[in-house]
Amino acid sequence: MADGAQVARQWDRQSLLSLFDPATGELDRRVMSDEDIYQLELERIFARGWNFMCHESQLKDPGDYVINYIGEDQVIVVRDEDGQINVLLNTCRHRGNALCRAEQGRAKSFVCSYHGWNYALDGRLIGVPGQSTYYYKDFDRSRLGLAKARVENYLGFYFATLAEDAPSLHDYLGDVGRVSIGMIVAHGDVEVAPGIMKNVIDCNWKIAVDNLFDWYHVAYSHASADTAGFLDTAAILHPKNQMVMLGEYGHAIGGPAVPADLQARFDQMTDAERNEASRTQPPNTPRIRPKAATELMGTVGVRSHGHPNVFPNLWVTMSGLQVCLRLPRGPAKTELWWFTFLPKGAPEPLKRQIMWQANHIFGPAGLLEQDDGENWSQSTRASRGVASRKLGNHINMGIGHGQVSEGEAGERFVEGWVSEHGQRWLYRAWTEWIAATDWSDLKANHSAPPSGVI
Amino acid sequence: MTLPERVLLHYEVEQFLYAEAAMLDARRYRDWLALLAEDIHYWMPIRRTVMNADLDMEWTQPGEMAYFDDDRALLEIRVKKLEAGSAWSEDPPSRSRHFVSNVRILDVADDEITVEAAFHLYRSRLNTEESNWFGRRVDVLRRAGESFLIARRSLFLDQTLILSTNMSTIF
Ligand code: FES
Ligand SMILES: [Fe+2]
Repeated sequence: MADGAQVARQWDRQSLLSLFDPATGELDRRVMSDEDIYQLELERIFARGWNFMCHESQLKDPGDYVINYIGEDQVIVVRDEDGQINVLLNTCRHRGNALCRAEQGRAKSFVCSYHGWNYALDGRLIGVPGQSTYYYKDFDRSRLGLAKARVENYLGFYFATLAEDAPSLHDYLGDVGRVSIGMIVAHGDVEVAPGIMKNVIDCNWKIAVDNLFDWYHVAYSHASADTAGFLDTAAILHPKNQMVMLGEYGHAIGGPAVPADLQARFDQMTDAERNEASRTQPPNTPRIRPKAATELMGTVGVRSHGHPNVFPNLWVTMSGLQVCLRLPRGPAKTELWWFTFLPKGAPEPLKRQIMWQANHIFGPAGLLEQDDGENWSQSTRASRGVASRKLGNHINMGIGHGQVSEGEAGERFVEGWVSEHGQRWLYRAWTEWIAATDWSDLKANHSAPPSGVI
Repeated sequence: MTLPERVLLHYEVEQFLYAEAAMLDARRYRDWLALLAEDIHYWMPIRRTVMNADLDMEWTQPGEMAYFDDDRALLEIRVKKLEAGSAWSEDPPSRSRHFVSNVRILDVADDEITVEAAFHLYRSRLNTEESNWFGRRVDVLRRAGESFLIARRSLFLDQTLILSTNMSTIF
């Protein structure tokens, strides 16, 4: 398996940057199937970026842990006795064995099942069987704690990075990443509903990310859910009232939005009036967010009811009640993990309704998502043929027709018809991420959110 | 119940379950719907890989997240979706084989019979995709004339991470 330095010699900066042409929207299909590019992604995107780990409600007490991933590096996300959340590489420093083989649980410490090395919840090596006998006096346990990732949180959402030189999570998220999390927190104090759906799709992780901005596929891909009477796809689409927000480092939000004049009417209403109006709206209309949401999300973000992607791989759904992680497992394999959020103070019937929706829309048996996976896997598959991979993917919808507006707080966004501005922003950022050798390179050479016509 | 009564009931239940499996494999979804009680609950909780000490968190509980948590109306929607002509994940249709074995009658109360079985649902899709779903199933069957209606089906899958693109097949 190639390491990043080796791969980077074959793929110089220019050849990496040219994998996507933002001016034409043409994407080189090798990005979906090339093993070397995939290895670069693990190093230069996943290990470098901030990866979603958990919500604070998942780890209530010291010792509570969940397993997650930074790219293909498995990590233990655990709350220690001081209440801190640590992200520890799940590999024993002795022979590399996984310390933790369950996907969630409670632990006092992590004892390796191979030879019994024992690690504290903060990763310190606290016990080595037979240390003074077999290793004599020359064993320095302090050098052999578990490798730790940097951990920061935004409003109770914990992220980790393996890059020492990464910017703070707050700066990394930028306005668009913060609006994305804001969509969830606009529901108030939330907690993760018990049960995370997990399944594997034979697709490249980016085709799954590309799809979340894709309001073009909804009517066609999901036609059967409509015909069956499950969901009125036309009603959720609002094809003319779409907004794409473009954020630094590749974050974006795409989908329906409340027009500014309508939001101005909402702004006059009390929260009680908003609740009442939300209840009496036609079905499939997004609920009117409370007053506090404007502060949290800004005057532009509060209008968005689209799908955010926190770069690289965290999809927040338009309802603000679910997130889906797209975890890479090779160029043609992706794990999807669905987390559902419940407003803490919500009455039981509302919580049940939220879970009912979540159970039936997404996840492997979801009436919408059933039909996504096969399209993604067949699209990925086609990128492997020597002739078909030369054809390129065409991500050119709306090029030259997007007028970028600037919000009061500097937000960059495009309003209008369904478009592929979000996907183009994703792939443009992606090329910049894999072309950059480290954070200082990326900071210096990434595109600022655009202005003018795109 | 006397032994002959138990043997007879066991035979009836097994034959019913086999007929149902054959119906699903033959894609006779409308006929299958006719086997469901109005108040059916069709449920597959989420299973987690946990340590022995944490087995209390192995399964999600009723009212929590689930892969299937369907009432009759939702199951009818699933069937309508299969019939819609645009259910891309089932066109070309999957080929399924429903196996039911280790059948045990756990309880007989009035007109309701609780039946446990092991299941194996094999799905072959396109030319190269295979899914094998194994698990334990607990059904509540309700007497209806000469036959039964399925009043409850709980599916306890053996996979935790679902190793398939989707679960577009009826279990
Ligand atoms: S590999 Fe962990 S103790 Fe030896
Ligand atoms: Fe979709």
